[in-house]
Amino acid sequence: MRRRRMTDHPVAGALFVLPFFLVVVAFLVVPLGYAFWLSLSSKSLALGEQFTGFGNYTRAFTDPVLLDGFLRVLVFGAVQVPLMLGIALVGALTLDAVTTRFAIAFRLIAFMPYAVPAVLGALMWGFLYSRTFGPFADLPTAFGGAPADFFSADLLLVSLGNIVTWAWTGYNMIVLYSALQGVPREMYEAALIDGASQVQIAVRVKVPAIRQAIALAAIFSVIGTMQFFVEPYVMSRFAPQISAGYTPNLYAYNQAFAYSDFHYSAAISFALGFVVFVAAYAFVLSTRKRRSS
Amino acid sequence: MLGINRSRTLVSVLTVAGLLAATACGGDSGGSDGGPVRVSVWAWYPEFKGVVDAFNASHDDIQVDWTNVGTGPDQYAKLKTAFTAGTGAPDVAMVEFQQIPTFLILDALVDMGQYGAGADEDLYAEWAWQQATDGDKVFAIPVDGGPMALMYRKDLFDQHRIPVPTTWDEYATAAEKMKAVDPDAYIASFGSDGGWLNGLMWQAGCRPYGYSITEARDKVKIDLTHPDCEKVIEFYGDLVERDLMATDPFFTADAAAALDSGKYWTWAAAGWTPGYVAGSLKNTAGKWAVAPMPQWEKGADEHGDWGGSTFTVTKQADNPEAATVVARELFGKSEEAWDIGLNKAFLYPLVKDVAADPAFTGKAYEFFNGQKVNEIFVPVSEKLGDFDYTPFQDFVFGDLLDRCAEATSGQREWDTVLDATQKNVVDYARKQGFTVE
Repeated sequence: MRRRRMTDHPVAGALFVLPFFLVVVAFLVVPLGYAFWLSLSSKSLALGEQFTGFGNYTRAFTDPVLLDGFLRVLVFGAVQVPLMLGIALVGALTLDAVTTRFAIAFRLIAFMPYAVPAVLGALMWGFLYSRTFGPFADLPTAFGGAPADFFSADLLLVSLGNIVTWAWTGYNMIVLYSALQGVPREMYEAALIDGASQVQIAVRVKVPAIRQAIALAAIFSVIGTMQFFVEPYVMSRFAPQISAGYTPNLYAYNQAFAYSDFHYSAAISFALGFVVFVAAYAFVLSTRKRRSS
Repeated sequence: MLGINRSRTLVSVLTVAGLLAATACGGDSGGSDGGPVRVSVWAWYPEFKGVVDAFNASHDDIQVDWTNVGTGPDQYAKLKTAFTAGTGAPDVAMVEFQQIPTFLILDALVDMGQYGAGADEDLYAEWAWQQATDGDKVFAIPVDGGPMALMYRKDLFDQHRIPVPTTWDEYATAAEKMKAVDPDAYIASFGSDGGWLNGLMWQAGCRPYGYSITEARDKVKIDLTHPDCEKVIEFYGDLVERDLMATDPFFTADAAAALDSGKYWTWAAAGWTPGYVAGSLKNTAGKWAVAPMPQWEKGADEHGDWGGSTFTVTKQADNPEAATVVARELFGKSEEAWDIGLNKAFLYPLVKDVAADPAFTGKAYEFFNGQKVNEIFVPVSEKLGDFDYTPFQDFVFGDLLDRCAEATSGQREWDTVLDATQKNVVDYARKQGFTVE
């Protein structure tokens, strides 16, 4: 019965879907297809274009610069993502427990960095890190240390991680806080009656209840980390230590727009997309399995 | 509810249609309807609107549509995309000297020689014309350059009786003396700038690259490990290692503040620098002076160039002949354009007559305490010799600076910087199908 009604107006249905379909085809399917087609051939500067099949992919997976950059974002993500989500979770649990006017203001303030465009955020931090103008570089001298050079090879990843954490913690906090709002309050009452403390309720009841939201935030963060681009791109003008292949995405950008190798750039982007897809999928599978067990 | 949905659908359909239409008609229109020919120009010169207005006012048959799509790399990224796509490039594009071969190998530039641009040869500084042309093919029309000289804090050198260095050895000695006077100061900064480092290597007699697209499209010379190149990197590496030279990148707020606070005592600068410093250094105005570049051998008279740009006509130009007129005459001999170029945009003119004009050479700069600094820059431009670039200069400068950055952070010995760059560049060139000499 229901099925028949759905096919009663095939034209009208198709028309409703059409705008979305057109947008997806024009701005997602066609560009993706074109990029994939590009990645299957090579264009050397001197010799011109030739079809190379998966040659660009072999090159990508054996390119030491790309692999170095990939390793760098992996290390970066392994530290930054748990740290950021940890802070976001603590913040969200606090916001959920405290319902004063201050909490509402804090929610807004915490979310604000997310509203700042990433380029402006990176530029702003570029100045805050400055030895001349920034307030932070001279902090170690208060304890008798040497002034910090946030653009040095040693501190660069930390400096970048701080920018990303600053920009995204509030956003993740709001995501987790919204998830907490959806948890039935009766569960907390039951826990209270069973004699649980506020901390126990937070850790034993609230966190498991929003596990799905945490997993989602983690997936988005991991994807964001793999695609790390804006901050290193903007900061490279302050920090010569950011090399052309500092992150895989930056490398893909330079291949295309500095070295005119759009084919290899497309292959890097696709390889990166593939790795991100596999990583995200594996993550989803593992969280699902844990839930069902 | 239904109404909202319907209007939303309509809006999205219209949006898609509009976007598709916008992408479909991105090209420029010629003047086939009898009106003036319209020539599109991409350039990022400061104060350029006045130059365009002057051109349009003095030409009835050709009118320029100017867009600033971004500075340097930003514009090049858009150009490379347009050339790869086969559409979307302007008729005339501003291109820096070191980028000309890069766009030549992309088959992006028109030979303006076929439209008579060869007649301009005597107008421009010889080194610039050599870089803009290949045989009788004219691929670019020079506009501005950056002959190098040494900017130094005259008050500090005088006060501490440190002689102004005439050789690089004396420069190192001055750096030691300066450090003894003020431990927080540096002789200068090793600024992580490809063009700057290249100018210093040029001055040292280093000619690391060779390329001529008319002789052989796929042959390139890479000779970065020549002793004349090595000595530059090792000299500066030594100053950095001894903490006599800082490592702030140029044109950052930190570098500007350091120049303006007495932290840096010198800057190996270029013909366009007087305009830049007068605009951004306020505290130390009047305390600086310009001296000829220190020499590698006492009594020598060798020089280099840092920066400079040209106009090119792209192969996507609808009317390359009209575009050539625009490239030749936007600045060219136009007095009005050069008045803006010299006095508002602070370009160093590569038109010989403009550079030699007493109005330019005799101009006293308040920033340099009344010194007529162009009396130093102009002879440098006249003495500059030939210098070639590779058709993948972004890769070369990028790799060179990345290796230098490794050296400044202690991950690499300075004397291995050029070996590593040479290897990487040769590998890259071979992969790109070049025969490397």
